[in-house]
Amino acid sequence: MSDLYFGTDLFSEFDRLQQQMASLFGGFPSSIRSGRSGAFPQVNIGSTDDSIEIVAFAPGVDPASLDVSIDKGLLTISGERGSAQPEAGDDTRTYAQERFVGAFRRVIELPQHADPDKVTAQYTNGCLTVSIGKRETSKPRAITVQ
Amino acid sequence: MNDTTKLARKDDTTVARRDDEQSPRRITLAPPVDVFEDSQGVTLWADLPGVTKDRLDVKVHDGNLYIEAEAVVPTPAGLRLQHAEIRQPHFARAFSLGADFDASKIDANLKNGVLKLTIPRRDEARPRRIEVRTN
Repeated sequence: MSDLYFGTDLFSEFDRLQQQMASLFGGFPSSIRSGRSGAFPQVNIGSTDDSIEIVAFAPGVDPASLDVSIDKGLLTISGERGSAQPEAGDDTRTYAQERFVGAFRRVIELPQHADPDKVTAQYTNGCLTVSIGKRETSKPRAITVQ
Repeated sequence: MNDTTKLARKDDTTVARRDDEQSPRRITLAPPVDVFEDSQGVTLWADLPGVTKDRLDVKVHDGNLYIEAEAVVPTPAGLRLQHAEIRQPHFARAFSLGADFDASKIDANLKNGVLKLTIPRRDEARPRRIEVRTN
C-alpha cells in the first residue's frame, strides 16, 4: 500500500525545482495532453506485472457523474464537482475557497500493451482507482537459457 | 461582535509540521479548504481523498483546531509507482478558533473523502436584533 506514495519528499522538491526551471526556460517536453500541473483530480500511476493502476484523487464527486472511458489508447476521467458554498444569504461570508469547483477532465496516455478490454474502475473514499490489464504478450517472462 | 473571525490559517505553507508527533520530521500535505460563516457559526470543508473515519483525527486543543488524517488506497502487491502528483499520504492543517466558538459542539462528517466541520458560535455570541421601544 505504501508503494502508492514515495517515502521521501525529495522528489517533490525536484518537481518544484523543475517547475521553476520550466517557467524560466520553457522546460523539457512533457506530454501534450498532460495539462497544467496541479490539475484536478491529481493522479498517481503505477504498474504491476499484470496491470496498470491509476488512482485519481477526486474527493466529493458524485460517482454517478464520474465518466471513465478508453478510446484509442487514451484513458479519460471526467466529471463535475459542485460547490460547497451555501445559498447566498445576506449574512454568509466566505473566508476561504481553495477547493476545486466545476467540470474537470484528465487524459492519460496508456502504453501500447494496455488491454482496453480488461478495465475495472472503483470509487471509494474519494479516490477513483482504475485498473487496466496488460496484454499477455507484454507480461514479463523468464527465458530459459539452453 | 466585530466582522472578522480568528478562524484563520495558522500555517500558510504547503508543508505543515507538528512538533509533538512521534516522527517530528514527517512531511504532510495541507488539504485545500473552504470556510464559510453565517449567523450560526462556521462551516469548514476539507478535501481528504482516501481517508477513512478511523484514520481521521479532529481535535481542539488550547483554542486551536487540528485536522490530521492519513490516506489509505488499496493497491495490488508489487506496485511500482511511475508518476505521482500526491506523494504523501499524510494530511495536516491547523486553525485557531476564537473564543466565540463553542468547541464542545463541533460536528464532523466525512463523506467521499470530504470532511465537513460545523463549528457553532456560542449562543451569547450570536448576533441578535434588539427591539427598540418608543414610549
